[in-house]
Amino acid sequence: MFDTTSSGARIELDGLTKRYPGQADPAVDNVTLDIPAGELVVLVGPSGCGKTTTMKMINRLIEPTSGAIRIGGTDVLAMRPDELRRHIGYVIQQIGLFPHLTIAENVGLVPGLLKWSKDKIARRVDELLDLVGLDPAAFRGRFPRQLSGGQQQRIGVARALAADPPVMLMDEPFGATDPITRERLQNEFLRLQRELKKTIIFVTHDFEEAIKLGDRIAVLRESSRIAQYDTPARILAAPADDYVAGFIGTDATLKRLALIPVSLLSRSTSTGTTTGTSAAATDGLPQIAGSATLRQALDAMVAHGRQEIAVDGKVVTFAQICASVTGEQAGLTGEQAGAAGEWPVSGVR
Amino acid sequence: MSLSEYIASRWDLLTQAALEHAVVVAISLVIATIIGVGIGMLTYRSPRWAAFAIGTSGGFLTIPSFALLGLLIPFLGLGWGPSVVALVLYSLLPIVRNTVVGLKGVDPAIVEAGRGVGMSASGVMTRVQLPLAWPVILTGIRVSTQMIIGIAAIAAYVAGPGLGNQIFDGLSRLGSVNALNSALAGTLGVVVLALLFDLFYVVIRRLTTARGLRV
Repeated sequence: MFDTTSSGARIELDGLTKRYPGQADPAVDNVTLDIPAGELVVLVGPSGCGKTTTMKMINRLIEPTSGAIRIGGTDVLAMRPDELRRHIGYVIQQIGLFPHLTIAENVGLVPGLLKWSKDKIARRVDELLDLVGLDPAAFRGRFPRQLSGGQQQRIGVARALAADPPVMLMDEPFGATDPITRERLQNEFLRLQRELKKTIIFVTHDFEEAIKLGDRIAVLRESSRIAQYDTPARILAAPADDYVAGFIGTDATLKRLALIPVSLLSRSTSTGTTTGTSAAATDGLPQIAGSATLRQALDAMVAHGRQEIAVDGKVVTFAQICASVTGEQAGLTGEQAGAAGEWPVSGVR
Repeated sequence: MSLSEYIASRWDLLTQAALEHAVVVAISLVIATIIGVGIGMLTYRSPRWAAFAIGTSGGFLTIPSFALLGLLIPFLGLGWGPSVVALVLYSLLPIVRNTVVGLKGVDPAIVEAGRGVGMSASGVMTRVQLPLAWPVILTGIRVSTQMIIGIAAIAAYVAGPGLGNQIFDGLSRLGSVNALNSALAGTLGVVVLALLFDLFYVVIRRLTTARGLRV
Protein backbone atom coordinates (compact mmCIF):
# COMPACT_ATOMS: atom_id res chain seq x y z
CA MET A 1 0.00 0.00 0.00
CA PHE A 2 0.98 3.64 0.10
CA ASP A 3 4.17 4.18 1.97
CA THR A 4 2.72 5.98 4.95
CA THR A 5 1.72 5.77 8.53
CA SER A 6 -1.73 6.63 9.77
CA SER A 7 -1.38 10.36 9.18
CA GLY A 8 -1.80 11.90 5.76
CA ALA A 9 -0.17 11.18 2.44
CA ARG A 10 0.36 13.63 -0.40
CA ILE A 11 -2.10 13.42 -3.27
CA GLU A 12 -1.07 14.46 -6.76
CA LEU A 13 -3.50 14.79 -9.64
CA ASP A 14 -1.75 15.18 -12.96
CA GLY A 15 -3.67 16.11 -16.11
CA LEU A 16 -6.69 14.21 -14.86
CA THR A 17 -9.43 14.05 -17.49
CA LYS A 18 -12.77 12.28 -17.77
CA ARG A 19 -14.73 12.18 -21.02
CA TYR A 20 -18.03 10.41 -21.38
CA PRO A 21 -18.83 8.99 -24.80
CA GLY A 22 -21.27 11.13 -26.76
CA GLN A 23 -20.56 14.32 -24.83
CA ALA A 24 -18.73 17.17 -26.49
CA ASP A 25 -17.21 18.65 -23.33
CA PRO A 26 -15.18 16.59 -20.92
CA ALA A 27 -16.76 16.18 -17.47
CA VAL A 28 -13.36 16.83 -15.96
CA ASP A 29 -10.78 18.60 -18.07
CA ASN A 30 -7.06 18.28 -17.42
CA VAL A 31 -7.03 18.87 -13.66
CA THR A 32 -3.63 19.18 -12.06
CA LEU A 33 -3.63 19.59 -8.29
CA ASP A 34 -1.03 18.99 -5.61
CA ILE A 35 -2.44 18.33 -2.18
CA PRO A 36 0.13 18.40 0.62
CA ALA A 37 0.10 15.61 3.19
CA GLY A 38 -2.11 16.24 6.18
CA GLU A 39 -4.08 19.10 4.64
CA LEU A 40 -7.79 19.44 4.11
CA VAL A 41 -8.50 20.71 0.62
CA VAL A 42 -12.01 21.74 -0.31
CA LEU A 43 -13.20 21.45 -3.89
CA VAL A 44 -15.91 24.05 -4.21
CA GLY A 45 -17.98 24.87 -7.26
CA PRO A 46 -21.53 24.96 -8.59
CA SER A 47 -23.59 21.80 -9.07
CA GLY A 48 -22.50 19.79 -12.06
CA CYS A 49 -19.06 21.38 -12.31
CA GLY A 50 -17.36 17.99 -12.06
CA LYS A 51 -16.05 18.25 -8.50
CA THR A 52 -17.62 14.96 -7.40
CA THR A 53 -16.42 13.25 -10.58
CA THR A 54 -12.90 14.52 -9.86
CA MET A 55 -13.09 13.12 -6.35
CA LYS A 56 -14.50 9.75 -7.38
CA MET A 57 -11.63 9.24 -9.81
CA ILE A 58 -9.25 9.26 -6.86
CA ASN A 59 -10.77 6.11 -5.38
CA ARG A 60 -11.62 4.91 -8.88
CA LEU A 61 -15.36 4.67 -8.49
CA ILE A 62 -15.02 6.48 -11.81
CA GLU A 63 -12.14 5.50 -14.08
CA PRO A 64 -10.25 8.46 -15.57
CA THR A 65 -9.96 8.76 -19.34
CA SER A 66 -6.42 10.05 -19.04
CA GLY A 67 -4.03 11.54 -16.52
CA ALA A 68 -2.29 10.26 -13.43
CA ILE A 69 -3.13 10.04 -9.72
CA ARG A 70 -0.47 9.45 -7.10
CA ILE A 71 -1.05 9.00 -3.38
CA GLY A 72 2.10 9.12 -1.29
CA GLY A 73 4.01 8.68 -4.55
CA THR A 74 2.20 5.45 -5.47
CA ASP A 75 0.45 5.27 -8.84
CA VAL A 76 -3.17 4.66 -7.90
CA LEU A 77 -4.21 3.56 -11.39
CA ALA A 78 -1.87 0.58 -11.19
CA MET A 79 -3.58 -0.79 -8.08
CA ARG A 80 -6.57 -3.09 -7.74
CA PRO A 81 -9.55 -0.76 -7.21
CA ASP A 82 -11.09 -2.75 -4.30
CA GLU A 83 -7.75 -2.93 -2.52
CA LEU A 84 -7.16 0.79 -3.11
CA ARG A 85 -10.55 1.78 -1.67
CA ARG A 86 -9.92 -0.11 1.56
CA HIS A 87 -7.13 2.39 2.21
CA ILE A 88 -9.10 5.51 1.38
CA GLY A 89 -11.81 6.70 3.75
CA TYR A 90 -15.04 7.55 1.94
CA VAL A 91 -17.91 9.62 3.32
CA ILE A 92 -20.94 10.58 1.24
CA GLN A 93 -23.84 12.95 1.73
CA GLN A 94 -26.42 10.13 1.84
CA ILE A 95 -24.26 8.49 4.55
CA GLY A 96 -24.92 5.03 3.13
CA LEU A 97 -24.77 3.00 6.33
CA PHE A 98 -25.84 -0.61 5.87
CA PRO A 99 -29.25 -0.77 7.55
CA HIS A 100 -29.13 -4.53 8.15
CA LEU A 101 -25.85 -4.36 10.06
CA THR A 102 -25.29 -3.08 13.59
CA ILE A 103 -23.27 0.06 14.21
CA ALA A 104 -20.31 -2.10 15.27
CA GLU A 105 -20.58 -4.19 12.09
CA ASN A 106 -20.83 -1.06 9.96
CA VAL A 107 -17.75 0.51 11.51
CA GLY A 108 -15.82 -2.77 11.54
CA LEU A 109 -16.54 -3.56 7.90
CA VAL A 110 -13.30 -2.34 6.33
CA PRO A 111 -11.03 -3.83 9.03
CA GLY A 112 -12.96 -7.06 8.37
CA LEU A 113 -12.19 -6.81 4.66
CA LEU A 114 -8.54 -6.30 5.62
CA LYS A 115 -8.70 -9.50 7.69
CA TRP A 116 -8.04 -7.98 11.09
CA SER A 117 -8.67 -10.29 14.04
CA LYS A 118 -12.06 -10.12 15.76
CA ASP A 119 -10.54 -8.75 18.98
CA LYS A 120 -8.65 -6.05 17.17
CA ILE A 121 -11.77 -5.02 15.26
CA ALA A 122 -13.87 -4.86 18.43
CA ARG A 123 -11.28 -2.69 20.15
CA ARG A 124 -10.98 -0.44 17.11
CA VAL A 125 -14.77 -0.03 16.88
CA ASP A 126 -15.02 1.10 20.51
CA GLU A 127 -12.10 3.46 20.06
CA LEU A 128 -13.73 5.04 17.00
CA LEU A 129 -17.14 5.41 18.63
CA ASP A 130 -15.40 7.22 21.48
CA LEU A 131 -13.57 9.37 18.96
CA VAL A 132 -16.77 10.55 17.28
CA GLY A 133 -18.42 11.13 20.64
CA LEU A 134 -20.85 8.21 20.83
CA ASP A 135 -20.83 5.91 23.85
CA PRO A 136 -19.66 2.48 22.59
CA ALA A 137 -21.67 0.53 25.15
CA ALA A 138 -24.88 2.27 24.13
CA PHE A 139 -24.39 2.40 20.36
CA ARG A 140 -22.36 -0.60 19.29
CA GLY A 141 -25.35 -2.97 19.12
CA ARG A 142 -27.87 -0.53 17.66
CA PHE A 143 -28.98 -0.34 14.06
CA PRO A 144 -28.59 2.72 11.79
CA ARG A 145 -32.35 3.36 11.73
CA GLN A 146 -32.33 3.86 15.48
CA LEU A 147 -29.94 6.81 15.17
CA SER A 148 -30.57 10.47 14.33
CA GLY A 149 -29.16 11.92 11.11
CA GLY A 150 -26.28 13.60 12.93
CA GLN A 151 -25.41 10.41 14.81
CA GLN A 152 -25.56 8.43 11.56
CA GLN A 153 -23.07 10.75 9.87
CA ARG A 154 -20.74 10.46 12.88
CA ILE A 155 -20.85 6.71 12.28
CA GLY A 156 -20.23 7.39 8.59
CA VAL A 157 -17.06 9.26 9.54
CA ALA A 158 -16.07 6.52 12.00
CA ARG A 159 -16.53 3.88 9.31
CA ALA A 160 -14.30 5.87 6.94
CA LEU A 161 -11.62 6.15 9.62
CA ALA A 162 -11.83 2.50 10.65
CA ALA A 163 -8.73 1.15 8.97
CA ASP A 164 -6.83 4.37 9.69
CA PRO A 165 -6.45 5.40 6.04
CA PRO A 166 -3.97 8.17 5.17
CA VAL A 167 -6.49 9.75 2.80
CA MET A 168 -10.18 10.59 3.15
CA LEU A 169 -12.64 11.61 0.45
CA MET A 170 -15.73 13.43 1.67
CA ASP A 171 -18.59 14.29 -0.69
CA GLU A 172 -20.79 16.96 0.92
CA PRO A 173 -20.83 14.90 4.12
CA PHE A 174 -22.78 17.44 6.15
CA GLY A 175 -25.01 18.62 3.30
CA ALA A 176 -28.13 16.74 4.32
CA THR A 177 -28.23 17.75 7.98
CA ASP A 178 -30.03 20.70 9.55
CA PRO A 179 -27.98 23.89 10.10
CA ILE A 180 -27.48 23.37 13.83
CA THR A 181 -26.36 19.76 13.47
CA ARG A 182 -24.18 20.73 10.52
CA GLU A 183 -22.41 23.40 12.55
CA ARG A 184 -21.80 20.93 15.38
CA LEU A 185 -20.55 18.20 13.02
CA GLN A 186 -18.22 20.68 11.31
CA ASN A 187 -16.72 21.76 14.62
CA GLU A 188 -16.25 18.20 15.84
CA PHE A 189 -14.77 17.23 12.53
CA LEU A 190 -12.25 20.07 12.66
CA ARG A 191 -11.21 19.08 16.15
CA LEU A 192 -10.79 15.51 14.92
CA GLN A 193 -8.78 16.53 11.88
CA ARG A 194 -6.40 18.62 13.98
CA GLU A 195 -5.65 15.43 15.90
CA LEU A 196 -5.55 12.98 13.01
CA LYS A 197 -3.92 15.08 10.26
CA LYS A 198 -5.35 13.03 7.41
CA THR A 199 -5.09 14.26 3.86
CA ILE A 200 -8.69 15.09 3.05
CA ILE A 201 -10.43 16.04 -0.15
CA PHE A 202 -13.74 17.60 0.76
CA VAL A 203 -16.36 18.43 -1.85
CA THR A 204 -19.03 21.05 -1.22
CA HIS A 205 -20.99 23.75 -3.03
CA ASP A 206 -21.20 25.79 0.17
CA PHE A 207 -18.47 28.43 0.12
CA GLU A 208 -18.98 29.26 3.83
CA GLU A 209 -18.25 25.63 4.65
CA ALA A 210 -15.19 25.71 2.41
CA ILE A 211 -13.80 28.74 4.25
CA LYS A 212 -14.53 27.23 7.61
CA LEU A 213 -13.01 23.81 7.00
CA GLY A 214 -10.38 24.17 4.31
CA ASP A 215 -6.65 24.55 4.78
CA ARG A 216 -6.83 25.30 1.08
CA ILE A 217 -9.69 25.79 -1.30
CA ALA A 218 -9.84 24.94 -4.99
CA VAL A 219 -12.59 26.99 -6.62
CA LEU A 220 -13.75 25.11 -9.70
CA ARG A 221 -15.48 26.19 -12.90
CA GLU A 222 -17.32 23.87 -15.27
CA SER A 223 -15.37 20.76 -16.33
CA SER A 224 -13.60 21.03 -12.99
CA ARG A 225 -11.19 23.69 -14.29
CA ILE A 226 -9.42 25.33 -11.37
CA ALA A 227 -10.24 29.03 -11.07
CA GLN A 228 -8.13 29.52 -7.95
CA TYR A 229 -6.29 27.25 -5.55
CA ASP A 230 -5.16 28.93 -2.36
CA THR A 231 -5.76 29.38 1.37
CA PRO A 232 -9.17 30.75 2.40
CA ALA A 233 -7.64 34.00 3.64
CA ARG A 234 -5.86 34.70 0.39
CA ILE A 235 -8.84 33.78 -1.78
CA LEU A 236 -10.97 36.20 0.24
CA ALA A 237 -8.35 38.94 0.13
CA ALA A 238 -7.48 38.56 -3.54
CA PRO A 239 -9.94 36.58 -5.64
CA ALA A 240 -8.29 35.62 -8.92
CA ASP A 241 -11.13 36.86 -11.10
CA ASP A 242 -14.80 37.84 -11.24
CA TYR A 243 -15.89 34.21 -11.16
CA VAL A 244 -14.19 33.60 -7.82
CA ALA A 245 -15.34 36.99 -6.52
CA GLY A 246 -18.90 36.05 -7.46
CA PHE A 247 -18.54 32.88 -5.46
CA ILE A 248 -17.37 34.75 -2.40
CA GLY A 249 -20.28 37.17 -2.54
CA THR A 250 -20.37 40.82 -1.53
CA ASP A 251 -19.27 40.36 2.07
CA ALA A 252 -15.73 39.15 1.50
CA THR A 253 -14.37 41.41 4.21
CA LEU A 254 -16.79 40.12 6.80
CA LYS A 255 -15.89 36.58 5.84
CA ARG A 256 -12.23 37.40 6.29
CA LEU A 257 -12.92 38.86 9.71
CA ALA A 258 -14.54 35.56 10.62
CA LEU A 259 -11.19 33.84 10.00
CA ILE A 260 -9.25 36.01 12.48
CA PRO A 261 -9.43 35.42 16.23
CA VAL A 262 -9.96 38.58 18.25
CA SER A 263 -7.20 37.49 20.62
CA LEU A 264 -4.71 38.34 17.86
CA LEU A 265 -5.54 42.05 18.23
CA SER A 266 -5.89 42.13 21.99
CA ARG A 267 -2.44 40.59 22.22
CA SER A 268 -0.83 43.25 20.05
CA THR A 269 -2.41 46.06 22.05
CA SER A 270 -1.43 44.69 25.43
CA THR A 271 0.95 47.44 26.54
CA GLY A 272 1.96 50.97 25.67
CA THR A 273 -1.23 51.95 23.92
CA THR A 274 -3.55 54.66 25.09
CA THR A 275 -6.29 52.17 25.81
CA GLY A 276 -4.10 50.34 28.31
CA THR A 277 -4.96 47.27 30.29
CA SER A 278 -6.37 48.69 33.48
CA ALA A 279 -9.74 47.52 34.66
CA ALA A 280 -10.99 51.11 34.40
CA ALA A 281 -10.39 51.14 30.65
CA THR A 282 -12.63 48.18 30.01
CA ASP A 283 -15.34 49.28 32.44
CA GLY A 284 -18.73 49.44 30.86
CA LEU A 285 -17.55 48.05 27.55
CA PRO A 286 -19.28 45.05 26.00
CA GLN A 287 -17.32 41.88 26.77
CA ILE A 288 -16.29 39.18 24.37
CA ALA A 289 -14.14 36.05 24.75
CA GLY A 290 -10.66 35.84 23.25
CA SER A 291 -11.68 32.80 21.24
CA ALA A 292 -14.29 34.85 19.34
CA THR A 293 -13.62 36.13 15.83
CA LEU A 294 -13.24 39.72 14.69
CA ARG A 295 -16.58 39.32 12.94
CA GLN A 296 -18.22 38.52 16.27
CA ALA A 297 -16.39 41.47 17.86
CA LEU A 298 -17.70 43.76 15.14
CA ASP A 299 -21.16 42.36 15.64
CA ALA A 300 -20.99 43.17 19.35
CA MET A 301 -19.79 46.72 18.62
CA VAL A 302 -22.66 47.36 16.19
CA ALA A 303 -25.15 45.84 18.58
CA HIS A 304 -24.01 48.07 21.47
CA GLY A 305 -23.34 51.16 19.33
CA ARG A 306 -19.73 51.30 20.58
CA GLN A 307 -16.37 51.69 18.85
CA GLU A 308 -14.54 49.67 21.47
CA ILE A 309 -14.93 46.29 23.02
CA ALA A 310 -13.31 44.45 25.92
CA VAL A 311 -11.52 41.21 25.22
CA ASP A 312 -10.24 39.37 28.28
CA GLY A 313 -9.62 42.66 30.09
CA LYS A 314 -8.10 44.40 27.08
CA VAL A 315 -9.62 46.86 24.66
CA VAL A 316 -10.00 46.31 20.94
CA THR A 317 -11.12 49.26 18.82
CA PHE A 318 -13.06 49.51 15.58
CA ALA A 319 -10.03 51.16 13.97
CA GLN A 320 -7.90 48.16 14.85
CA ILE A 321 -10.35 45.82 13.17
CA CYS A 322 -10.27 47.94 10.02
CA ALA A 323 -6.47 48.03 10.14
CA SER A 324 -6.28 44.27 10.47
CA VAL A 325 -8.02 43.88 7.14
CA THR A 326 -6.14 46.58 5.21
CA GLY A 327 -2.84 45.61 6.77
CA GLU A 328 -3.38 42.06 5.74
CA GLN A 329 -4.04 43.19 2.21
CA ALA A 330 -0.86 45.25 2.14
CA GLY A 331 1.29 42.34 3.23
CA LEU A 332 -0.49 39.87 1.06
CA THR A 333 2.50 38.43 -0.71
CA GLY A 334 4.58 38.24 2.41
CA GLU A 335 4.66 36.37 5.66
CA GLN A 336 1.56 37.93 7.03
CA ALA A 337 -0.71 36.47 4.38
CA GLY A 338 0.79 33.11 5.06
CA ALA A 339 0.06 33.61 8.71
CA ALA A 340 -3.47 34.64 7.84
CA GLY A 341 -3.85 31.30 6.23
CA GLU A 342 -2.73 29.61 9.41
CA TRP A 343 -5.05 31.38 11.80
CA PRO A 344 -8.13 29.36 11.17
CA VAL A 345 -6.25 26.17 11.82
CA SER A 346 -4.77 27.24 15.09
CA GLY A 347 -7.40 29.19 16.87
CA VAL A 348 -10.78 30.42 15.88
CA ARG A 349 -13.01 27.52 15.34
CA MET B 1 -69.33 -43.46 4.29
CA SER B 2 -69.05 -39.85 5.33
CA LEU B 3 -66.07 -37.66 4.38
CA SER B 4 -64.62 -37.84 7.88
CA GLU B 5 -64.95 -41.63 7.94
CA TYR B 6 -63.31 -41.76 4.53
CA ILE B 7 -60.42 -39.63 5.71
CA ALA B 8 -59.98 -41.69 8.86
CA SER B 9 -60.00 -44.96 6.92
CA ARG B 10 -57.53 -43.71 4.25
CA TRP B 11 -55.36 -41.66 6.68
CA ASP B 12 -52.09 -43.37 5.77
CA LEU B 13 -52.70 -43.06 2.06
CA LEU B 14 -53.76 -39.40 2.34
CA THR B 15 -50.83 -38.33 4.51
CA GLN B 16 -48.47 -40.13 2.17
CA ALA B 17 -49.97 -38.26 -0.79
CA ALA B 18 -49.88 -34.94 1.11
CA LEU B 19 -46.24 -35.48 2.01
CA GLU B 20 -45.34 -36.20 -1.61
CA HIS B 21 -47.31 -33.14 -2.64
CA ALA B 22 -45.35 -30.99 -0.19
CA VAL B 23 -42.04 -32.49 -1.32
CA VAL B 24 -42.66 -31.93 -5.03
CA VAL B 25 -43.68 -28.33 -4.30
CA ALA B 26 -40.64 -27.75 -2.07
CA ILE B 27 -38.16 -29.23 -4.57
CA SER B 28 -39.66 -27.15 -7.37
CA LEU B 29 -39.43 -23.98 -5.26
CA VAL B 30 -35.81 -24.53 -4.32
CA ILE B 31 -34.88 -25.01 -7.98
CA ALA B 32 -37.06 -22.07 -9.07
CA THR B 33 -35.55 -19.83 -6.37
CA ILE B 34 -32.00 -20.62 -7.48
CA ILE B 35 -32.86 -20.04 -11.14
CA GLY B 36 -35.20 -17.09 -10.56
CA VAL B 37 -32.97 -15.15 -8.16
CA GLY B 38 -30.03 -15.86 -10.47
CA ILE B 39 -31.89 -14.50 -13.48
CA GLY B 40 -33.02 -11.49 -11.45
CA MET B 41 -29.46 -10.76 -10.29
CA LEU B 42 -28.14 -10.97 -13.85
CA THR B 43 -30.81 -8.77 -15.41
CA TYR B 44 -31.95 -6.19 -12.84
CA ARG B 45 -29.46 -3.56 -13.98
CA SER B 46 -30.63 -3.57 -17.59
CA PRO B 47 -34.26 -2.52 -18.08
CA ARG B 48 -34.36 -4.36 -21.40
CA TRP B 49 -33.06 -7.69 -20.12
CA ALA B 50 -35.16 -7.46 -16.98
CA ALA B 51 -38.28 -6.90 -19.09
CA PHE B 52 -37.27 -9.84 -21.29
CA ALA B 53 -36.78 -12.13 -18.28
CA ILE B 54 -40.05 -11.10 -16.66
CA GLY B 55 -41.91 -11.37 -19.99
CA THR B 56 -40.55 -14.85 -20.66
CA SER B 57 -41.28 -16.20 -17.20
CA GLY B 58 -44.73 -14.61 -17.48
CA GLY B 59 -45.16 -16.40 -20.80
CA PHE B 60 -44.80 -19.79 -19.12
CA LEU B 61 -47.78 -18.97 -16.95
CA THR B 62 -50.01 -18.54 -19.97
CA ILE B 63 -49.51 -22.16 -21.04
CA PRO B 64 -52.39 -24.26 -19.68
CA SER B 65 -51.02 -26.73 -17.15
CA PHE B 66 -52.58 -29.75 -18.83
CA ALA B 67 -50.92 -28.80 -22.11
CA LEU B 68 -47.53 -28.11 -20.56
CA LEU B 69 -47.47 -31.37 -18.60
CA GLY B 70 -48.61 -33.31 -21.65
CA LEU B 71 -46.02 -31.68 -23.87
CA LEU B 72 -43.24 -32.61 -21.46
CA ILE B 73 -44.05 -36.34 -21.58
CA PRO B 74 -42.12 -37.04 -24.83
CA PHE B 75 -39.00 -35.49 -23.28
CA LEU B 76 -39.21 -36.43 -19.64
CA GLY B 77 -41.61 -39.35 -19.48
CA LEU B 78 -44.05 -39.67 -16.61
CA GLY B 79 -43.86 -39.08 -12.86
CA TRP B 80 -41.68 -36.62 -10.93
CA GLY B 81 -39.66 -35.31 -13.88
CA PRO B 82 -42.31 -33.45 -15.85
CA SER B 83 -44.10 -32.45 -12.62
CA VAL B 84 -41.06 -30.69 -11.19
CA VAL B 85 -40.12 -29.03 -14.49
CA ALA B 86 -43.65 -27.69 -14.99
CA LEU B 87 -43.88 -26.41 -11.43
CA VAL B 88 -40.48 -24.69 -11.72
CA LEU B 89 -41.57 -22.93 -14.90
CA TYR B 90 -44.82 -21.78 -13.28
CA SER B 91 -43.13 -20.42 -10.17
CA LEU B 92 -40.47 -18.39 -11.98
CA LEU B 93 -42.45 -15.21 -12.66
CA PRO B 94 -43.07 -13.98 -9.08
CA ILE B 95 -39.53 -14.89 -8.04
CA VAL B 96 -37.80 -13.25 -11.00
CA ARG B 97 -39.97 -10.17 -10.83
CA ASN B 98 -39.60 -9.68 -7.09
CA THR B 99 -35.84 -10.22 -7.30
CA VAL B 100 -35.61 -7.49 -9.94
CA VAL B 101 -37.88 -5.16 -7.97
CA GLY B 102 -36.12 -5.91 -4.69
CA LEU B 103 -32.61 -5.35 -6.04
CA LYS B 104 -33.65 -2.17 -7.84
CA GLY B 105 -35.21 -0.93 -4.60
CA VAL B 106 -31.91 -1.01 -2.70
CA ASP B 107 -30.78 2.58 -2.10
CA PRO B 108 -28.02 3.32 -4.68
CA ALA B 109 -26.15 5.29 -2.00
CA ILE B 110 -25.80 2.11 0.07
CA VAL B 111 -24.43 0.21 -2.92
CA GLU B 112 -22.03 3.08 -3.65
CA ALA B 113 -20.92 3.14 -0.03
CA GLY B 114 -20.24 -0.60 -0.25
CA ARG B 115 -18.11 -0.17 -3.34
CA GLY B 116 -16.51 2.95 -1.84
CA VAL B 117 -15.23 1.16 1.25
CA GLY B 118 -13.63 -1.51 -0.91
CA MET B 119 -16.14 -4.37 -1.14
CA SER B 120 -16.00 -6.31 -4.41
CA ALA B 121 -19.04 -6.28 -6.69
CA SER B 122 -19.95 -9.82 -5.63
CA GLY B 123 -19.33 -8.90 -1.99
CA VAL B 124 -21.77 -6.01 -2.24
CA MET B 125 -24.31 -8.32 -3.89
CA THR B 126 -24.14 -11.11 -1.31
CA ARG B 127 -23.53 -9.03 1.81
CA VAL B 128 -25.58 -5.93 1.07
CA GLN B 129 -27.95 -6.08 -1.89
CA LEU B 130 -29.39 -9.58 -1.44
CA PRO B 131 -29.97 -9.24 2.33
CA LEU B 132 -31.72 -5.91 1.75
CA ALA B 133 -33.82 -7.25 -1.13
CA TRP B 134 -34.58 -10.53 0.65
CA PRO B 135 -37.96 -9.60 2.20
CA VAL B 136 -39.24 -8.70 -1.28
CA ILE B 137 -37.77 -11.83 -2.86
CA LEU B 138 -39.27 -13.99 -0.12
CA THR B 139 -42.69 -12.50 -0.85
CA GLY B 140 -42.25 -13.61 -4.47
CA ILE B 141 -41.40 -17.15 -3.36
CA ARG B 142 -44.46 -17.16 -1.15
CA VAL B 143 -46.75 -16.13 -4.01
CA SER B 144 -45.18 -18.84 -6.19
CA THR B 145 -45.85 -21.39 -3.49
CA GLN B 146 -49.52 -20.53 -3.28
CA MET B 147 -49.78 -20.82 -7.05
CA ILE B 148 -48.03 -24.13 -7.55
CA ILE B 149 -49.60 -25.97 -4.64
CA GLY B 150 -52.81 -25.92 -6.66
CA ILE B 151 -51.12 -26.63 -9.96
CA ALA B 152 -49.21 -29.54 -8.44
CA ALA B 153 -52.51 -31.41 -8.11
CA ILE B 154 -52.72 -31.52 -11.89
CA ALA B 155 -49.36 -33.32 -12.00
CA ALA B 156 -51.34 -36.49 -11.34
CA TYR B 157 -52.24 -36.28 -15.03
CA VAL B 158 -48.67 -37.32 -15.85
CA ALA B 159 -48.63 -39.83 -13.00
CA GLY B 160 -46.88 -37.34 -10.77
CA PRO B 161 -46.89 -37.50 -7.00
CA GLY B 162 -49.32 -35.82 -4.63
CA LEU B 163 -52.91 -35.26 -3.70
CA GLY B 164 -53.94 -34.81 -7.33
CA ASN B 165 -54.27 -38.57 -7.63
CA GLN B 166 -57.07 -38.53 -5.06
CA ILE B 167 -58.86 -35.77 -6.91
CA PHE B 168 -58.48 -37.21 -10.42
CA ASP B 169 -59.34 -40.69 -9.19
CA GLY B 170 -62.52 -39.45 -7.56
CA LEU B 171 -63.57 -37.26 -10.47
CA SER B 172 -63.05 -40.03 -13.02
CA ARG B 173 -65.53 -42.33 -11.29
CA LEU B 174 -68.07 -39.87 -9.92
CA GLY B 175 -71.23 -41.62 -8.82
CA SER B 176 -69.49 -44.71 -7.62
CA VAL B 177 -68.63 -45.49 -4.03
CA ASN B 178 -66.43 -42.91 -2.25
CA ALA B 179 -65.71 -41.08 -5.53
CA LEU B 180 -66.87 -37.73 -4.16
CA ASN B 181 -65.13 -38.37 -0.83
CA SER B 182 -61.88 -39.03 -2.64
CA ALA B 183 -62.06 -35.83 -4.67
CA LEU B 184 -63.08 -33.79 -1.63
CA ALA B 185 -60.38 -35.27 0.59
CA GLY B 186 -57.74 -34.48 -2.04
CA THR B 187 -58.98 -30.90 -2.43
CA LEU B 188 -59.19 -30.38 1.31
CA GLY B 189 -55.65 -31.72 1.63
CA VAL B 190 -54.39 -29.15 -0.90
CA VAL B 191 -56.07 -26.31 1.01
CA VAL B 192 -54.64 -27.46 4.34
CA LEU B 193 -51.21 -27.82 2.78
CA ALA B 194 -51.40 -24.28 1.38
CA LEU B 195 -52.26 -22.91 4.82
CA LEU B 196 -49.40 -24.83 6.42
CA PHE B 197 -46.93 -23.51 3.83
CA ASP B 198 -48.11 -19.97 4.48
CA LEU B 199 -47.62 -20.39 8.20
CA PHE B 200 -44.16 -21.72 7.46
CA TYR B 201 -43.37 -18.55 5.52
CA VAL B 202 -44.37 -16.33 8.40
CA VAL B 203 -41.76 -18.14 10.49
CA ILE B 204 -39.13 -18.13 7.72
CA ARG B 205 -39.64 -14.42 7.13
CA ARG B 206 -39.12 -13.73 10.79
CA LEU B 207 -35.97 -15.86 10.93
CA THR B 208 -34.31 -14.72 7.71
CA THR B 209 -35.00 -10.99 7.64
CA ALA B 210 -32.04 -9.08 9.05
CA ARG B 211 -32.85 -7.67 12.47
CA GLY B 212 -31.78 -4.19 11.42
CA LEU B 213 -34.56 -4.13 8.83
CA ARG B 214 -37.22 -4.92 11.41
CA VAL B 215 -36.39 -2.18 13.94
